[in-house]
Amino acid sequence: MEIDRPDGRTQNQLRPLACSRNILNRAHGSARWSQGDTIVLAAVYGPKAGTKKNENPEKASIEVIWKPKTGQVGKAEKEYELILRRTLQSICVLTINPNTTTSVTLQVVNDDGSLLPCAINAACAALVDAGIPLKHLAVAICCSLTGSGSVVLDPSKLEEQKMEAFMYLVFPNSVHSVLPEGSLHVDGEPMEHGIITSVTHGVMSVDDYLHCLERGHAASARISDFLRRSLQSQALGNPSKAA
Amino acid sequence: MDGKPLTSPASFIDQMVVPGDVVLDLSSMANQTIKLGGGLRQDSDAISVMKAGKLKFSRPNKYWVESSQKRYVPCVEDTVLGVVVDSKADNFLVDIKGPALAFLPVLAFEGGTRRNIPKFEVGSLLYVRVVKASAGMNPELSCTDASGKAAEFGILKDGYMFETSTGVSRMLLSSPTCPVLEALGKKLSFEIAVGLNGRVWVNAGSTSMIILVANAIMSSESLSGTKQKIMVENLLRRFQ
Repeated sequence: MEIDRPDGRTQNQLRPLACSRNILNRAHGSARWSQGDTIVLAAVYGPKAGTKKNENPEKASIEVIWKPKTGQVGKAEKEYELILRRTLQSICVLTINPNTTTSVTLQVVNDDGSLLPCAINAACAALVDAGIPLKHLAVAICCSLTGSGSVVLDPSKLEEQKMEAFMYLVFPNSVHSVLPEGSLHVDGEPMEHGIITSVTHGVMSVDDYLHCLERGHAASARISDFLRRSLQSQALGNPSKAA
Repeated sequence: MDGKPLTSPASFIDQMVVPGDVVLDLSSMANQTIKLGGGLRQDSDAISVMKAGKLKFSRPNKYWVESSQKRYVPCVEDTVLGVVVDSKADNFLVDIKGPALAFLPVLAFEGGTRRNIPKFEVGSLLYVRVVKASAGMNPELSCTDASGKAAEFGILKDGYMFETSTGVSRMLLSSPTCPVLEALGKKLSFEIAVGLNGRVWVNAGSTSMIILVANAIMSSESLSGTKQKIMVENLLRRFQ
């Protein structure tokens, strides 16, 4: 089931990734992540003293502020904030700096589809830049399902409108390990097979979902490699790009 | 046996690591007593990384991840530069760029008694030592060394303080003297105080000299040793 994509990509092909870190002077950590024409700027401030009401003061808390490109913050943006906050909470080690708040601000620079995954990747890179203790990294990907049932990765805005259903998946990155099995195992499965976040829109069958999961996971390995390379090279302070 | 296991983990040392990497496996190590520094955590037998940076190892058994941040997390025995924010009856409240304000007890000075409490105005810059830094408490500072002497701690008058990253401060404090300070020190005479929290204070005979030293340090972060020397020489040539 080959389908044509407006930009001539194959179904599994991602748009070019780019990531630069430490680009804002006043933020404690910042990153700009782009997937094709979707660009998100993330800034991390903190850890700051104190947590908000209703938060557990024995743990660090994370707040997420979403700044849309235009217009006011609506329900969709509030939902994005919530998803992001839950995702980031699960990758951060919250017990190291108790009773502190780390705020992550995301500014949408341009939206050309797959916005939330792009924002999650940006936020993750910014957290690393700020030196916030993390259990592991997170890589996010958008998979979409066409009417004919084929899976398309990283859709652009134009493609997104034509899709039957789409899902945002967040996976742990593939880690380098000294353990003989090569990686950490949780309940007999390699850790990078875990899912941190899964958000679905539209109607899809269980088989389609599992198919998406498999394809998304395969693609996340590529993003994970890119993230690792960009984090490793940027100790030298030069931005990295991948085609 | 120097604590280094016989399997491959040596390959991680002096390499860039990212959060989640498992760098040591305790079950395969002969000497299981190791010291973990910043950026590492223990998860049963696996030692994994929490921050992106370079994994360092120091004989016999110390491991840590070296990274550079704009934010400081207080650690006991660090010397830092703090700014007085407020003064209370028993403590001065000092900002050390950490998550919480630090307390400097009014008696934590050489020969400090209730009679001779020093007066610091809000905004004074102090060179202090961190004596307590436990989670959930405000860190505590002291203006004396471990034996109660004033040593070099205390207020820094005049001069200019600027903020850099923790990586730069560590580079400036490293021994042998880092190339940028060595090159500057050959031509100019100036006073410098470096806090591990990324604050640097410079004082010299003239304002232009202070600015030159500050600029040289701030632009040295991403440069290698020889490049730092060239950069300093260029700055000095323009200065003279």
